[in-house]
Amino acid sequence: MNLKISALEYVEQVKNGDISAEDFVSSSIDRIKNVDDKLHAFLQVNSKAVEHAQQIDKKIKSGEKVGQCFGMPISIKDNICIKHSKTTCASKMLEKFTAPYDATVISKLKQEDAIFVGKANMDEFAMGLTTEFSAYGPSKNPWNTDYVPGGSSGGSAVSVSAFECIASLGSDTGGSVRNPASFCSVVGFKPTYGLISRFGLISYANSIEQIGPITRTVKDTAFLLNILSGLDSNDNTTIENGNQDYLADIDSGIEGKKIGIIQEMMGEGIDPSVLSATNDAVSKLEGLGAVCEKVSIDMVKYSVASYYTITATEAGSNLARYDNLRYGYEFPVEGFEFNSYISKARAKFGPEVIRRMILGGFVPSAGHAGKYFLKALKVKSKLTKEVKDAFKKFDYLIAPTVPVLPFKLGEKIDDPIALFLVDINTVMSNLSGIPSISVPFSISNGLPIGIQLLANHGEDKSLLQAAKALESTVNLPEVPI
Amino acid sequence: MVTEEEIEQVAKLMKIDVHDHKEFVEKVHDMINYFDILDSAGVSEEEISMKDLPLTSLREDKHIPFGENLIEKLNNYKGHYVRAPKMV
Repeated sequence: MNLKISALEYVEQVKNGDISAEDFVSSSIDRIKNVDDKLHAFLQVNSKAVEHAQQIDKKIKSGEKVGQCFGMPISIKDNICIKHSKTTCASKMLEKFTAPYDATVISKLKQEDAIFVGKANMDEFAMGLTTEFSAYGPSKNPWNTDYVPGGSSGGSAVSVSAFECIASLGSDTGGSVRNPASFCSVVGFKPTYGLISRFGLISYANSIEQIGPITRTVKDTAFLLNILSGLDSNDNTTIENGNQDYLADIDSGIEGKKIGIIQEMMGEGIDPSVLSATNDAVSKLEGLGAVCEKVSIDMVKYSVASYYTITATEAGSNLARYDNLRYGYEFPVEGFEFNSYISKARAKFGPEVIRRMILGGFVPSAGHAGKYFLKALKVKSKLTKEVKDAFKKFDYLIAPTVPVLPFKLGEKIDDPIALFLVDINTVMSNLSGIPSISVPFSISNGLPIGIQLLANHGEDKSLLQAAKALESTVNLPEVPI
Repeated sequence: MVTEEEIEQVAKLMKIDVHDHKEFVEKVHDMINYFDILDSAGVSEEEISMKDLPLTSLREDKHIPFGENLIEKLNNYKGHYVRAPKMV
């Protein structure tokens, strides 16, 4: 069974009767069994996936209406609720939590006959960008297992890159879909804020986070966006998708389009091979008829500090519910006073979660809010204006997704500031709410480099067209695992 | 400059026990100090942008019964009562 096909190829082959959902899903599960010991992309594997695939094959044979996914195996980041399935957020705090309902994205995929092969590893509560902060151990990069796969949706990106499934859903608060997509050489998309419902996504920083697909091709992302996007009465921040067909006209190209090269994302600290790849991507886009010019977005320099201040504040509030009274685990109360019971129970949080909760208590507190939190919100506002101004002149913006190559496991884990700066190119689109996508572009010393394209608010369809154009210029080697 | 005592006080208010005390506080200290970069952003005159959400666009505020009997899934209940930890 050839597992190295795209989602659209899978649909076509099942429709034509060339392959069955059961054979494909069985092979995917076998692949997981064979390689996941090395990669640790999954926290749980769905033991009923093959049975489910058999049911879909029966539907196909009997001529019943079948959903658009035709039994396609998809992995789901473990902070997205699937009814009756464990949803741990890669935390010991939620080790035994079973979701009592489906996230909206899960309901939509079920309706279209997708099969969830398992829950993907992640940084605990999505706080991190290497997957090293998972309470169940890190995922490994399939391009070189000594290296991090990126994060926080690291398990999702690894599972797609290593052919353990066809596509995955991650969540992106400051680059958590695009960063691992770049490090694992797959496509990662962060939609316009509100385009995909967050209902059923365990909250980290509600005001900027989004669920996003991770796929092998840009067309697959468009295919999934057709299913996932749109208004949801359970999430009041969702926006109309205007009944867009994101796949239609995806090959429109970028002739005559103007692209701004963000200078603040190409400067100090960038790896020379990443800089060279970005310049190469610009040349290729110019070769396709785009006009590329430098653009400056001054607030990018302050965006990481603003991002961490805002997300820590929201995390401090969101994680207050894990007090062992509302959510938690069995832990006897005898011998504790109220506050000390909660403090003891919270010992199950990992170090990064605790650090961010303390930050989240500190930066918005009386006496400090003016210096940190309110200033961070002002930076967010000014950054959003600067981004809007840039789109008066340009159709798209471009920058490397991550300014450095994937690094070794353990290399940066003890240096929080070094880790902060890995986020510098991705947080802007979360803070300003615009869509952005990481497209696999090159391999340097055996490690992947992704290029990030960004478009104006609501221009997701146009962004996918540009991403498709960029994708068409590359021919990358296969993952060596 | 933030002091270590201030960080310890916030941890206490957040009901968090800090282990590996010194190293932990130092890291949080470094993170907060990094945020001082916001002082040079020159945004003191900037207005914080808000997005208004009219009440009419919120979903109706009514009870929607859950499809399953959740209480039966709990470990510690009697009749319709759930036993919560005794705190005083």
